[in-house]
Amino acid sequence: MAWLLPGAGYLLIGQRTRGLTVGISVLTLFLAGLLIGGVRVIEVPGFDGTGQRQRDVRVIHEIQEKPWFVGQILTGPACLIGGWFSIDLAHQRIPRSHGRVNEIGTLYTAVAGMLNLMAIIDSAYRGASRQG
Amino acid sequence: MPAMVALLSQVWSRAPFVAPLPVWNYWYLLLLPLVAAIAVVYKSIRCGSMRQVPREAAILFVVILVVMVLAAGALAGLVTLLEM
Repeated sequence: MAWLLPGAGYLLIGQRTRGLTVGISVLTLFLAGLLIGGVRVIEVPGFDGTGQRQRDVRVIHEIQEKPWFVGQILTGPACLIGGWFSIDLAHQRIPRSHGRVNEIGTLYTAVAGMLNLMAIIDSAYRGASRQG
Repeated sequence: MPAMVALLSQVWSRAPFVAPLPVWNYWYLLLLPLVAAIAVVYKSIRCGSMRQVPREAAILFVVILVVMVLAAGALAGLVTLLEM
């Protein structure tokens, strides 16, 4: 649940302010990254630069090629929706951004995912502490 | 102010989320929102009470910025030294 909606883990254990603060911050950071670098900063594994599905994909090789996706996907379904748009734009031959804006957009989206991972772990820990 | 208006008009003349923002000359300012978000989320996780978060996050925000500026200065000094 905390992965589906950033901050929802805190909401489930009754920490509304913390949940809203974390959720809004993570989603704002992720959307800011997409705004800065364009939605094509999300490079979906299994698809090439033109949005065509690759055949005979090796998972480890794909993760090595697109390591930032590991951080980005931790943001939750927002990344899946962004990835879908990214593939759609690739089909339309809309180019990716380059240089610093691409790097900064990628960094924003990946950091948002990693912050969400910290929030997921912390909310799970706090929930378990309350039960135990 | 005219520069800000020019930048905003450039931003909205492009398709948001499709084309990148025209921030090539201001890229270093993008450090500020990133550091702010990291400080707020990190302190929201670490602090026992949410009342402490604004103050703690502001302190962390300043500390990160100061350390990054010092690190940038040190690296710039090192590069200048190596170029001599």
